[in-house]
Amino acid sequence: MHISEMDHIANNGHSFFHRAGVLAKMFFTLIMLTAIIIANTINTLALLIIILMGMFLVTRVPLLKVGHLAVYPAFFSVLFAIIKFQESLTSGLIVVLKALGAALTMIFLISTTSYVEIFAVLSLVLPRLLVDIFFFTYRAIFILLDKAQNLFTSIKLRGGYRPFSMIMNIKNLPKLIGTLLIHSFEMGERMHKIYSLRGYNGHIYVQFKWWPLNSSDIIIFTISIGILIGTVIRWNPW
Amino acid sequence: MSGVIFLSHIHIPDGILPTVIWVTSYLITLVIIFVLCKKMDGEDVRRKVPIAGVMAAIMLIAMSIPLGFIPLHFSLAVLCGILIGPGLGFIVVFVISMMLAFFGHGGITVVGLNTLIIGSEVLIGAYMFRVLLKHQRIVPRVVLATVIALLVSVSLMVAVVGTTIGVAEALPANQSNHDHQDEVGDDKYYYHEDQEVINYTLDEAVDGQKYINFTGWSAVLTILLLGIFLETFVTTLVVKYFVKVRPDLLQTKTNT
Repeated sequence: MHISEMDHIANNGHSFFHRAGVLAKMFFTLIMLTAIIIANTINTLALLIIILMGMFLVTRVPLLKVGHLAVYPAFFSVLFAIIKFQESLTSGLIVVLKALGAALTMIFLISTTSYVEIFAVLSLVLPRLLVDIFFFTYRAIFILLDKAQNLFTSIKLRGGYRPFSMIMNIKNLPKLIGTLLIHSFEMGERMHKIYSLRGYNGHIYVQFKWWPLNSSDIIIFTISIGILIGTVIRWNPW
Repeated sequence: MSGVIFLSHIHIPDGILPTVIWVTSYLITLVIIFVLCKKMDGEDVRRKVPIAGVMAAIMLIAMSIPLGFIPLHFSLAVLCGILIGPGLGFIVVFVISMMLAFFGHGGITVVGLNTLIIGSEVLIGAYMFRVLLKHQRIVPRVVLATVIALLVSVSLMVAVVGTTIGVAEALPANQSNHDHQDEVGDDKYYYHEDQEVINYTLDEAVDGQKYINFTGWSAVLTILLLGIFLETFVTTLVVKYFVKVRPDLLQTKTNT
């Protein structure tokens, strides 16, 4: 899934979660991550993942399109789980479910929340310089991905890349990276001039609306608190 | 684990590392970042912020370039330190680690640890290139700086992972050849009545390593040396390209 498609889903959704304020969404993410990390039983972790799947369904985020991003951490967790399986099947499954749950939580956040809003919240606690770099990175990724693709295509058209010529490919790859870097640096210098003309003085001002809370915010806060209580208090359904 | 991605990036999912480890690493990382941001100010740094952003984007793109049968990706961390300086380079590594965590490449709790380990690569590489080796010619400067920085960061990664969850976890991802045996009383295994606890030794993990026709420690060393060679090769060629085309970008006195 292309990063721009992810961005499109986050910015164009119409569910209650998409409409909610970014603070409520970040609160939900934090509570969900905490619950997953502190949970130590398969039942709890499975329930949390079911809740996440339910959220994907309700918010109409196409899980089939974004879910493959969770395969990567699930794969790495299996490597740790293999060791834990020697202790017990439960221990191994817990490792896999924790990795899957945490990955799905982050994927859910970025597919329902614009990156700009996430950075805006981070600007409350992180230094301005760092947040500015986040913004410029986010902007540059889209431009440079296209540029890299075009450069790679022109190398292939000129015979500079062949699938079975490892040595030639490795020789040409640094030139591709070097050209891309030089283009990026020139782009960065142009960006600085353009932003300076627009009044950039070392701080990109961002605003996000967090008050008053709307009904979506209240629903999300309620769900989050429910998850926290359910995880912290030991429930015995029998 | 580390053999499937770039050499020293830790891909431990959330919930594996002890809480005290990842919280401490986050605190140390944030303190370093706050100190760096406080030190860096002025027009020169503001001019470099967009460049730091594009450098971060380039590193993210470079990580997605597949190398075929080689289970590694580039990180360009040392190159980042050489081009934009150690301070901004360290901050860029934090940005990249955070963005990768958003996509599930490594847990969100491991961002601090990853920043410290890959950040050490940036700092050592930049310092060696700019200070220790500044009187050498360009190729030996870059090669030595990159090799030493990579060796240090990989050692740090192995040390961190080894002391927290076992050195076996730091080995490249190819552990399909386990042969588990319930050998009660054997010094490799320890068997309780209530709970079967098996000590998975490092030797067993290494024995399971396979790469092309190499096995065991040969496979481990092959992957490690291949990774260091590729990263050093690409970094050297890119810096040489810069020297030919834009030597002004390598001027160290304006780097932060």
